[in-house]
Parts: sequence; structure tokens; C-alpha cells
Amino acid sequence: MIKLNVNGQDKEVDVDPATPILWVVRENLEMTGTKFGCGIAQCGACTVHLDGKPIRSCSTPISDAEGKAITTIEGLATEDGTLNKVQQAWIEAQVPQCGYCQSGQIMAATALLERNPQPTDEQIDTAMAGNVCRCGMYGRIRSAIKAAAGIEQPAAKETVA
Amino acid sequence: MKRLSAAAALMPVLILTACGSDPAPEPVEQIVVREPGAAPVEPAATTSEASEVDGEAVLIAAGQSAYAVCSGCHVVEAGAASTAGPNLHAVFGRAAGALDDFAYSDALKSSDISWTEAELDAYLADPAGKVPGTTMVAGAVQDDERRKAIVAYLKSLSTS
Amino acid sequence: MSDAETMTDTPKKKGKWTRRAFIGAGVVAGGALVVGVAVRPGNPTDRLSPMLTNGKDEQLLNAWVKVGADNIVTAIIPHVEMGQGVFTALAQMLADEMDADWSKVRILESPAIDQYVSDSIGREFIAPNLEVPEILEPTVAGGFLELVQAMGLQITGGSFSVRGTGQRAMRTAGAAAREMLVAAAASEWDVPASEITTADSMISHAKSGKSETFAKFAAAAEEQSLPAKPKLKSPDNYKLMGKPIARTDIPEKVDGSALFGIDAKVPGMKYAAVKAAPVVGATVESMDATAAKSMPGVLQILNMGDFVAVVADGYWQAQQALNSVKTTYSKTEGDKLDQASLFKRYDKHLNEAGADGGDTETEEGDVGEAFANAATKVEAEYKVPFLAHATMEPMNCTAWVRDGKCDVWSGHQSPLGARKAAAEAAGLDFDDVTYHNTYLGGGFGRRSENDNIEMAVRIAKAAGYPVKMIWSREEDTMQDHYRPSATSRFQGGLDKNGKAVSWSNIHTHLFDPADAPTVPYYNIANHKIRKIDVPTHLRFGPWRSVDHSQHGFFIESFVDEMAEAAGKDGYEFRRELLAGSKRHLAILDKVAKMSGWDKPLPEGHGRGIAFVPSFGSIIAQVAEVDMTGKKPKVDKVYVAADAGFVVNPDGFTAQMESAIVYGLTATLYGEISLKDGAVQQSNFHDYQMLRINEMPEIEVAIINGDHKRLGGGGEPSLPPLAPAVTNAIFAATGKRVRELPLSKNSFA
Repeated sequence: MIKLNVNGQDKEVDVDPATPILWVVRENLEMTGTKFGCGIAQCGACTVHLDGKPIRSCSTPISDAEGKAITTIEGLATEDGTLNKVQQAWIEAQVPQCGYCQSGQIMAATALLERNPQPTDEQIDTAMAGNVCRCGMYGRIRSAIKAAAGIEQPAAKETVA
Repeated sequence: MKRLSAAAALMPVLILTACGSDPAPEPVEQIVVREPGAAPVEPAATTSEASEVDGEAVLIAAGQSAYAVCSGCHVVEAGAASTAGPNLHAVFGRAAGALDDFAYSDALKSSDISWTEAELDAYLADPAGKVPGTTMVAGAVQDDERRKAIVAYLKSLSTS
Repeated sequence: MSDAETMTDTPKKKGKWTRRAFIGAGVVAGGALVVGVAVRPGNPTDRLSPMLTNGKDEQLLNAWVKVGADNIVTAIIPHVEMGQGVFTALAQMLADEMDADWSKVRILESPAIDQYVSDSIGREFIAPNLEVPEILEPTVAGGFLELVQAMGLQITGGSFSVRGTGQRAMRTAGAAAREMLVAAAASEWDVPASEITTADSMISHAKSGKSETFAKFAAAAEEQSLPAKPKLKSPDNYKLMGKPIARTDIPEKVDGSALFGIDAKVPGMKYAAVKAAPVVGATVESMDATAAKSMPGVLQILNMGDFVAVVADGYWQAQQALNSVKTTYSKTEGDKLDQASLFKRYDKHLNEAGADGGDTETEEGDVGEAFANAATKVEAEYKVPFLAHATMEPMNCTAWVRDGKCDVWSGHQSPLGARKAAAEAAGLDFDDVTYHNTYLGGGFGRRSENDNIEMAVRIAKAAGYPVKMIWSREEDTMQDHYRPSATSRFQGGLDKNGKAVSWSNIHTHLFDPADAPTVPYYNIANHKIRKIDVPTHLRFGPWRSVDHSQHGFFIESFVDEMAEAAGKDGYEFRRELLAGSKRHLAILDKVAKMSGWDKPLPEGHGRGIAFVPSFGSIIAQVAEVDMTGKKPKVDKVYVAADAGFVVNPDGFTAQMESAIVYGLTATLYGEISLKDGAVQQSNFHDYQMLRINEMPEIEVAIINGDHKRLGGGGEPSLPPLAPAVTNAIFAATGKRVRELPLSKNSFA
């Protein structure tokens, strides 16, 4: 049995200690918000927090999480369902398209703002370059991060004649 | 310009979505290891039994199991082409950045590392800390025991 | 999760049809029966009600809308949501015509049944301009429905949902529902219908001061006959259409609750990993599963002939065990092919076709004579590689085959097609298969194929219990249905004034759509366009913008080369070619103006322009590139778009941005290549994606040029991107890019 703390709750799972965190969270704990994208830490869809740090859960064994706190996308909102400021900014800027990569994007952005509340464009690039969005919503991701940081409000980018 | 037949133009789309494939074949071979719900088959050798026989073998076996998280990027079969990371067969004693079929980072190529137990251990503990600029962005093994086991497993692949 | 149908019960926010509705044969909606001839010939509400309503306090007004006792209006959307915002845009169209209160509008994805085939898309494609008298409309509409039902066409693709289903069905359904409600109220209140007004899901009669909810008259609406051609609003009366309304699917995509195919949960479900023969068409010759048999969690190891599968307690266990299975494959003709020999094969066929061979697609005038007499001759050859879709959600499917029934869970662009494929794979009747669709983690054409459905059903049938099959990213990359690799050759002639007088093109492959290689909007007196088919063993599939993705690059590169040969500016040269086409010129002029086309750029920077109408929309783009670094960097892309009338400007803009990134990824990096018949790339390390640090700034301008005939949004912003970038590279460096991706070219 491996003892875990996931989104503030203590859990025990009976799995091979080498099993990546991703599959324990998705299959054993039935929390499917964290996504499988590449399996080799190239796309960031599986990003979760381990003691507050963003990690690629597809390539990190569950044994690394023993005695540590795992936070997944399901654990960002408060108990009454209030979304965190990154999630709110994501809705405001209408970031997601297909939405599949967005759990990972939001986890990466939340971790960024926790350690750097006022990131520059370059720091946003560095922190978010590990997260692929095939729908290409990088411009909106950037403005949503800035909005969540209070740096700027998302501006309407289209004009209709 | 000649007007194209729109109906003809639609046909590929329709064929694409409307047509089924050949009748689906049944399995050529079906190996049923276990029915769901049935108790898992015990592994051939348990750790406790084996440890009496050979401590090193246990460590290598543990390393082989722990290596699973590395296997997404690194193959270990002799002669197999490198994938997302370099082939780690016979990595022991090899100079860092030595394989021709893998595009190493400049950082690793100029690191002057020759892979030993100590070097691999330090690198696996924190790749970017040991070699700043490495493209190995994931796969750090924080657990000391597991790291030791993985290194032992890699060593076994280099000597066998 | 407690029973097999929880997947369909759970997402109430999205409003899937419920289990009770589906299996509750005894539950019938409270008498709601409305003959909706124009909307659905031979009105099916009596059959649909049990599936789509809760049977008590909801009324199905026609196939596309229901009204609840709580005055909630539910739009029933016959398309799938893959991020393009179709749920919201189609609901906007219906709700606007119905005068529904947007805050009380909900969305329900239609089930995979043949009442929800894409007949409006079929009609938009086959006979877009066909207008018939009201009396004939039911017959004509019924004819199209029958035709499309016979084809089993239920497709989300071709940038067709808004312009086809939205414009033809959703608006009509909304207007029809409104007229029925008004007629019911008029009858009840005994006042003329003409005196009744509707707004915000309320029906009012000013003279008497009466005002009631839609819900109040929903049941009575069944007494009213539905007009074949209800009156639609003119644009100045639109309240919801044309507004950037927030997408309804976004909230559940930021809290992890949105369910994709890979998230299906079925009790007792096990997991399968698969590996198909690396060379398509080969079969498994031998399988050695010795190691896998003793690996943890393994339940079954299957040699399915064309692929091997391992079923285990968990997906990771299945994949680990599969990695240890040793297989050999049969030899095929495809084994001999690599990328260089494929391009040589194209050359051979093109050479053999010569000046007159191949299949002529369009021809006017005499290109041979015009080219021979041209003052300036321009010739060029372009090449593009195969491309994979690389949806973020790898291909997957969950299936359960038991007791003569089959349930399938997946996210698919053609739910009806998936259901048919599942029935064939399971050896069951269509009626014995229930298909459960989910959100799609990217579609781009990939999820219109049925290979994943068939594989999962075959595995589940062999296993006997529910199985979720997940492809590794490697499998997803190596077993795609690819955008064809292609070669295209051009000859162009200019007269002594630099005016284009001949245009000749021959290219490999024609997949879809047929107009992709053609340039009817360019005014060139003599032209001839031909294709040759060159067989390969690889599977082709529709890839975002399909053939326009390569022909946009070919055509707009060559136009630029002709402009250069004519000594003219690329923008001015295109203006001459478009002379007389007012809408086309408006878009070209707009993009030139917004990009500051005439303004100088710093050394090493360049601007390129491209113009490609596709999927009913007219798009021009200007790209700005910075060539001062190690590799090309695209700083900014300007887009001017005329899609007729844009229903949701923010959603449309997001589609413009998205297609630009999809196109830019292909332009910079996209290459699937063959070695010994197998795909060489396998994951994101060697099939690279654009990332945030390479994201250009994008500015979009929308011109609404025709509110009656709409254009598509999902694809048309892709084709102009590559040539805008390569034309900009030429402007900056003088180097003409004739082969994609850019990573194959040296700019040192």
C-alpha cells in the first residue's frame, strides 16, 4: 500500500510503486481531469503539483509522491466550488478550445504565479513552453496569465466591419 | 472557369464516413492469462526469497521494475535506434554524448562526463542541476534506493 | 460510478440524453407531437421524445428544440464539440430566432441516430442555391434527408456546421418553434397572432397586458401546424447572432470535469494497449508473449492479425507488457518505400504525364499557346510532406460487447458512422449498438476515421468484458491517416505588361475538396489544372483544411513568383488578378491596410501576403517574419476574413488563431516521412509542435459580406498561412522556399 495525499485528502493505493502518478490518479483514484498526452514529458497535459511544484505525472512514479502532497486540477477550486484566479481568467479570456491540454496548462500557470506573481513575457514563455496546445491558444493563455496576475485585462482582439 | 460538380466533390467525404471496412476478423491468437476478478498470478520470484540468493540480483530486478518510467524515452536493447532519449545499452563507461544516432544537447556533449555509478547517480538525481542545458527535462529520480537500483540495472546491461 | 450508463447520466451540465430516456420504453413525453415538416420531414418527435425528454415536464417542439416546465429552452445540437464552439454558435442561432432568453438556454448533443444526419450539410454542398416554393419545400427537404440518411452522413467537419446546419436547420427550427408558440397563445387568448410579441422566452400581448412564459404554451403548441418556411429575422433584428457570447463548454474545461473519450468509465472496465503493424497493410507473422504473460496486471494477450493488444488491469501495465511482446510482420510492397523514393515516384508519374497527361480538373482557353507566346515564362515545382493530426487526446475507444449488444464510448466527428463501424466490427445489427459520444480532445479530421472504434470493439468482443483501448502517442503518430505528401508543378505566362495570361498546374493526388487546386477567383484567361494519382500504401485522411492545406501553399507561392517575374508588388499583382471581384478585393485591401503593407521593416525582416478563399470564406493574411536569428521567427500575422456573417465573433477569431498555429506548426516543423515503408516519427520530440515561445501576435479583422450565404470558420485560416510566411521569407532574404517544412531549408 502506498500512502498519498491528494487534493488534501489522505488516500491509500495498492499499485506497483513504479506506476506513473498519472495512471494512479486517473484509474485508481478515478480523477480524470489530468490527461495523458505523450507519456514522455514532452507535452505537459499530465501536469500536477507535487508539494506545489509542477511535475509531469506521466513520467514520475507514484513512489516519488509518498508522503508528499499531490494537487490535481480537481483540487484547485475551494470547497464551495470557487475557481482559482487562473481558472477564472481562463474563462474570462475564453482560452480553451478542445480543452484537453487545459488542465495541464492551468496547473503550470497556477504554479508559475505562486512562485512569481508578476511574471514577464519571457518568464511566462519559460514556464509554459513545456505545455503543448494543439488548438494553438497560446495568445489567450498569455493574456489570461497576465489578467490573473493583475498585469493586464484581456482585450478584444477582433474587429467586425 | 469550368464549374466543378459539387456533388462529385462531396463524394470523398461521404465515402469516408459512410462506408464500413471489411468484416472485422477474430483474434488469430488469444492468450488468456487470467480472468478479471481472479487473483493475480504471483510473480515467479518474490523479493524476500530472492534476497537470500543474491542481493545484487534483487537490486537489478528492482531496478528493472523502476526503469519502467525511463522506458518511455530510453530503449536498452543492443543496437536499437535511440528514441526520445539515447539508447542506454552499455551506457556504463561510455562518454556522455557519444551515440551518433542521438542529437544530444551541446551541454551534455561538452560535459566531459564518462558514465560511472557516481556520475549516473548524480545525473539521475537532478539532470538539469548536474548538466545545465541538458534536454532531459523529465525523469529525475529523487528516491535514493530506486536510483541506486536503476543504476545497478543499467550497469547489468553494460556488462552482460 | 455505479452502473454502465453513468457516462451518459453524469454530464448534466452538457445535457447528454439520459439513461432513463434511452431505455425507458414505457416513458413517453406528455403527448408532445409536432409535425415539423420543414425541419424534419415526416416529423419524428413521437419517436424522439422518449430519447430526448424526461417524459414529464418537457415538450419536444421539433427535432431541434425542447421547452421545459421551468421555461428552459434546450437546443438539440446534431454536431460534436471539439473546441470549435459549435454548441454555442448553433444554440445562438436557434435561440435568436426563437426569441429565447439566453440565460435559460441549455444544450443537448443529439444521439447517434439517423434522425440527426447532416442533411443540411448535404444540401448546402450539393445544391446551395436551390430555392423552392413553400409547397414543395417538404418534398425537397425530405429528398435530401433520405439521401443523406442512406449515406449515414452525420459529420462534423468541412467547416460546415454553422453555414449548413446552423443556417438551414437551427434558425428555421427556432423560428418555427416561436411561430408555434405564438399561434398557441393567440388561440388561447383569442387575439390575432400578429399582435403577439416574443422576447426573452416570454410571449406577450400588449393590448390586453397578457404575458406568459414559453413553457405555459409548450404543450398547446402541438395543436399548431408548423410552417414549412417560417419567417427568419433580418440581421438588424438579431439579438444573439453576431455577438461574442461566452462558450458554454468552457467552464467544465477549466475545472477538469469535462469528459473526453479517454475518460469513459464503465464498471468492470479493463485497459488495452495496442501496436499495429508498422507498415500499413502488413500482418502479424509471429508473436512472442513469453515475458508479457508473467508481467503484473496482464489479463490477455491478443494477436488480432493486423495488430497485437495486451489487456490488463491498468493502461500502464498493458503498455509495459505490450512493450515486451516480440512481433514479426509479413513483407509487403510498402516495405520498399522511403520518402526520397516516394518523391522520385511522383517525379516519374509527373514526367510521364508530360504536357497533356493526367486528369484535367479545369480548363479554359489554350494554355499551351498562351504560354508559348508569353513575354515572360515562370516555372516552379513545390513539395510538401505527409502530416499527422497529433490531436492532444491520443486515439482511444471504450467498448463493451455482450449478450448481442454493444456499447461504445468515444469522441468522434461522425457518431453515426462510428456506430455503424462498431456494428460491423461486432457482427451485430445497427440497432443493437448504442454509441455514446463525448467531447473530442481535438479532431482536425482524424476523428472522422473509424479505425479506433473497430479495434476497440474487436478487442472487447474477444475479451467479453468492457475494455478501454488507449493508443500510445507513438501509435497515434505512426498509425494516422495522413495529409498526403505531394508534388506540384506550375508554368505561368506573363505578357509584356506583366499581366498573367496563362496558368498551368499538374499535381499529385486529389483527395478533397475538388476546388482546392483551382483558382476561379483569379482572372487569368488561359488555365489548365491537372492531377495524377500516385499509389502509396499509406492511408490518407482529411487534415484540417484538407487539400487546401497544400494547394494554398502551392498556388500562393507561385502567384508570388509570377509577381516577382512581372516586377510587381505581391499585393498589387493580386489586386489585378482579382479586378472586378468586390468582396475579394475588400478582404485583400483590408489585410494590406491593417498590416501597413507599404511601411518599411527593419533589415532582415519581411512581409508576405497570401489570399485563399476556402470553405465558403474569403481569407487574406499578411505574415511578418524575422530572419535575423538562427531560424525563421514569425512575429505577427494579420488576418482579414469574410465568412458572410459571423455568428460568434470571438469564437470565429479563436478559430482563425487556432488554424494559424496549426498551419504554422506544419510550416516550421511538420514532416512525417517514410523509411522502409514505416513512419519514422513517433512522438513530440521528433514530430514537433509550436510552443508558446514561438507564438506570433495575431490580429483578426472580420468583414460581414453576405448574411445569407455563410462561410466556414474552422479551416479557412490555415491555407494562406504557409505561403504568407514563405513569401515573407522571400521578401526578407530573397530565398524562395519550395519545399516544406522550413526546417528542411537552410537560411544561413
